[in-house]
Amino acid sequence: MHRSVWWSMAVVPLLAAAAAPGLAQTTVNPDISIIPRFRVESNDGEKLDQGKREFSRPDLQFEELELAIQSYLNPYARGDVILTIPGPDLENSKLGIEEVYASVLRGLPLDLNLRIGKYRAEFGKLNMVHPHAWPFITQPLSQLRFFGEEGLNDLGISASVLLPTGDVYSRLTVDLLRGNSVGKAAGLPDTTGAQPLYATSARLMAFFTLGDKSDLEAGLSTYTGIHDPYNHYRFWYLNGDMKYKYRSSAYTSLTVQAEYLFNTRTVTAAPAPVSGTLNTSGLYMYADYQFFKIFSAGARYDWSEQPYSAGDRAWAVALFLGYYPVEETLGVRFQYQHTETEPGTSTRAVNLLALQVLFSMGPHKAHPF
Amino acid sequence: MKYVLLCAAACLLTTAGFGEIRIVTSLPDLADFARQIGGDKVKVDFIVRGDQNPHFVEVKPSYMMKLKSADLFFIIGMELEMWAPQLVDGSRNEKLSVVDLSKGIQKLEVPSRVDASQGDVHRFGNPHYWLDPRNVRVIMDEMVDAMVSVSPSDEKLFRANEDVYLKKLESMIPQWEGEMKPFAGSRIITFHKSWSYFTNWLNLTVADQVEPKPGITPTPSHTADLIALVRKAAIKAIVVEPFYDMSAPEQIAHAGGAKVLMLPPSEGVVDGTGDYIALMSYDVRTLAAALK
Repeated sequence: MHRSVWWSMAVVPLLAAAAAPGLAQTTVNPDISIIPRFRVESNDGEKLDQGKREFSRPDLQFEELELAIQSYLNPYARGDVILTIPGPDLENSKLGIEEVYASVLRGLPLDLNLRIGKYRAEFGKLNMVHPHAWPFITQPLSQLRFFGEEGLNDLGISASVLLPTGDVYSRLTVDLLRGNSVGKAAGLPDTTGAQPLYATSARLMAFFTLGDKSDLEAGLSTYTGIHDPYNHYRFWYLNGDMKYKYRSSAYTSLTVQAEYLFNTRTVTAAPAPVSGTLNTSGLYMYADYQFFKIFSAGARYDWSEQPYSAGDRAWAVALFLGYYPVEETLGVRFQYQHTETEPGTSTRAVNLLALQVLFSMGPHKAHPF
Repeated sequence: MKYVLLCAAACLLTTAGFGEIRIVTSLPDLADFARQIGGDKVKVDFIVRGDQNPHFVEVKPSYMMKLKSADLFFIIGMELEMWAPQLVDGSRNEKLSVVDLSKGIQKLEVPSRVDASQGDVHRFGNPHYWLDPRNVRVIMDEMVDAMVSVSPSDEKLFRANEDVYLKKLESMIPQWEGEMKPFAGSRIITFHKSWSYFTNWLNLTVADQVEPKPGITPTPSHTADLIALVRKAAIKAIVVEPFYDMSAPEQIAHAGGAKVLMLPPSEGVVDGTGDYIALMSYDVRTLAAALK
């Protein structure tokens, strides 16, 4: 097919949608949801430098408020705006943009979906899930160290296509991103104002139905960009993920999920301790058992190096409980986590106890499998 | 030679299902109706098994695949299938028509005001209307119109098939009503407000639900109230769908002296309920036996 024909097939629905006068005057309000999270936390690592191991005073903290505004824009596209007020400083917190993007769902050739804006990229499995939907409280170490608290969340444009694999659902998603998300997480200077440092990510996933009660999703992701302020050095993240779910009844299910992330990058000196090619990695795996519909209990294992140091390792074991008395409208989670960090030759062990309370107003949709 | 090639092409087209209308329904009962209308002109699949709660369906990519090549997606509507829009979007099927079958239904329990303090109340009314067989004609009329819009040349066949099936179904209705006539006015308890159309049709009264509010897990205080109610009103049956937890209904039944009845709201859960008529026969027969 001639290129101009493809182009017109892609653009006409967008223009038609923009030009439709009735659509601009819609009286249908978007779905609005509000999900605040609070946390009480104590750990025994704050006075280790003074040679003391004692649990800190358990403070009640405001963790985050998420405001989701979601709606179809027209017959072809929908818009999602996720605003956030981060904690813990309730008085001085400012409203920020966690995600704001439009998705074109119909009208493009090859049944392509497009997304443009600022969003959590489809890299691995956990990155796309908002923290209120995690079964645990803390972020896995590998995700925290390689992406930062916000995850891989960047300005960009994304295209995804379903692959012709018969009855098996498989999808390829490719993103072109602004590229400062990972640099920010690693504590590098923000260079986006200097020169365009684009990064690209991609994920190939497949979903397998293993029977009436169990399903498996597996995915491979990659993310590459420039990681130094002078536009010289490239990094690659490669990630494998899997999620298995066995649902024996409407009240009981078992979820097992794991991700392994491998990082390779060219480094010269600081922040890395040596020059050359640095290879590091991290992983997490968890199992979560839901019972009586309203309870869940699980365990997670984390192990991770740093993006710029193979010597700075950490591992953690977390045990978590969840109580959701009325579907997703109210959640109470408890977590115990033992973390050992090994920056160089010394080892530092910290125990954490955390209680999280969250509630949800509005129709914020369930995250897909 | 030409004849052989033509035959081979025809065979290929036939095995590939050329000309078939591809239909997906949310419930297996709707799939049954679509098959009755379409016969061998349709290929029908459904999303929710009879032993699954149709209110809560996980948004799985495998369901999106079912919709990917479909022409029609028949849903109950009235926000029973809150999960459906995500599946439709995920299917990336531009030619898919989503047909809400509730349009012509005389709706029950339409609330004047809805908020979350009332539990999972459906703002357009109770959506479990397929459990009144008198509504099947309305459902099938809607289906036929949609199927004719996809394949106009088959209109006569679809309408004839519909007539044949409705004649058969509607001949059963007086029989079912007769079986339940001795129990008119009887009070039962149901787990969820799923049986309003069914009990309205058969002149039964739902005294209360095991759920304190729609979609809300049973609480000890409400369970205690129900035990007292069962004793006081001599309620004989507590109707529970197969996907709900039996512990609270069994506790009420044991303490109050009633029976717990597992009644499937959709076909295929219990042996011998492989189609809608068999399902209704089973539900009526089982309830009548419990109310004796």
